[in-house]
Amino acid sequence: MLNISIFNIVCTILNLLILYWVFRKFLFGRVDAILERRREEVDDANKAADKAIEEARATKKEYEEKISLADEEKQQILADIKKQGYDEYDRIIADAQKKSQEIITEARHNAETEADRTREIYAAELKEMVIDAATKIAATKHSSAEDSNLYDKFIDEAVANKNG
Amino acid sequence: MNLTAIGAAIAAFTGIGAGIGIGLATSKATDAVARQPEADGKIMKLLLLGCALAEATAIYGFVIAIMIILFS
Amino acid sequence: MKELLNELLMEDKTLIHVPFGNGFFDIYTSVVVTWIIMAVVIVLVLVLTSNLKVHNISRRQAALESAVIWLRGAVGSMLGEEAAAYTDYIVTVLVFIALSNMVGLFGFTPPTMDLNVTLALSIMSIVLVEAAGIITKGTKGWLKSFAQPMAAIAFMNVLELLIRPLSLCMRLFGNILGATVIMELAKSVVPVLFPAALSLYFDLFDGAIQAYVFCFLTSLYIKEAVE
Repeated sequence: MLNISIFNIVCTILNLLILYWVFRKFLFGRVDAILERRREEVDDANKAADKAIEEARATKKEYEEKISLADEEKQQILADIKKQGYDEYDRIIADAQKKSQEIITEARHNAETEADRTREIYAAELKEMVIDAATKIAATKHSSAEDSNLYDKFIDEAVANKNG
Repeated sequence: MNLTAIGAAIAAFTGIGAGIGIGLATSKATDAVARQPEADGKIMKLLLLGCALAEATAIYGFVIAIMIILFS
Repeated sequence: MKELLNELLMEDKTLIHVPFGNGFFDIYTSVVVTWIIMAVVIVLVLVLTSNLKVHNISRRQAALESAVIWLRGAVGSMLGEEAAAYTDYIVTVLVFIALSNMVGLFGFTPPTMDLNVTLALSIMSIVLVEAAGIITKGTKGWLKSFAQPMAAIAFMNVLELLIRPLSLCMRLFGNILGATVIMELAKSVVPVLFPAALSLYFDLFDGAIQAYVFCFLTSLYIKEAVE
């Protein structure tokens, strides 16, 4: 059982080397190739996912910017409209005030002219009456009593005229 | 023949060393596991290795005993 | 008893007799059994690794992949990072020794029961260890490493060149021989059931442990030589 045969030892060593070669070439080589390919694929997928996330983030930022821009625009428009409205309001008020002022002025003017005319009419009537009285006085005899009666009559007439 | 048997028996005494060695290793391993239960796997591995190495002395004795019997 | 041992151990190991060379080229049973094991393993490897896919892997491929990764991880952790290049060889040796030890289950004589096979394995191991040392340190560094940690111990270091492979070879040989002898004795004493339970321990457990120990020690030596 202890006899040693060099040839058999060499045979066993050769067997071992052949087995090692087969293992290396077929088992480990093939399995490693598969594992490597899978790893690469996973890496690629990871990279693609990262890229997609990056892109999505960029798009989101862009949209946010756009939305904030739109907000600003809206504010601007609102402010503009408000301003316009205020302007219009002011203008209308101013117009109305002006118009009312005009109306008031006109009315005042009208009233004044009316008053003037009335005064003129009164004056004319008064003048006629004075002339009338003067003529009557001139036509009658002058006595103080008659004169005073005449004046009273005249004044009464004038007052009645005025009140009438 | 008698002397052969005695020689084989003496060769079998290697078993004492192996027994003591494995016993010591196991007791220390038990201590270690009691102290650090989380290192269970590592200790088990080392214990198995130590036992296999200690057992080798008994195996040497066994081989020598067989040789003595067969080649006397 | 002695007859049984004689029958088991002293039988003529020659299986194929080559007519020339005065018996030098005779091929032993162990080598033929090794060939059978190799043929089975190679066919298995070729069948298992045929049309591997990246996606939608079959259960067979998943098992193969996890087995390869597990084996490499176990051996790689023994070797360490510096000597990781020798992982494939150690895995091959591990598989070879484990299968050789377990072939007793199928009624063959384990090839590792033959001293020539274990001797060949240990010679390969020591050659690999020293080659790893030379590759890593260069010839000068390798020669200098004998004088470490001190010059006086150089003799012991040179002696270790002989002792290490002898120890590896004899441990494996003795274990398998002992297991087979005990199995034969048990079979001759109790022919039923008992040998089956015993074979579970000796063929499977002990076989795996011895293969592991052989590879562990070899990788320990390589690690030491590479450092």
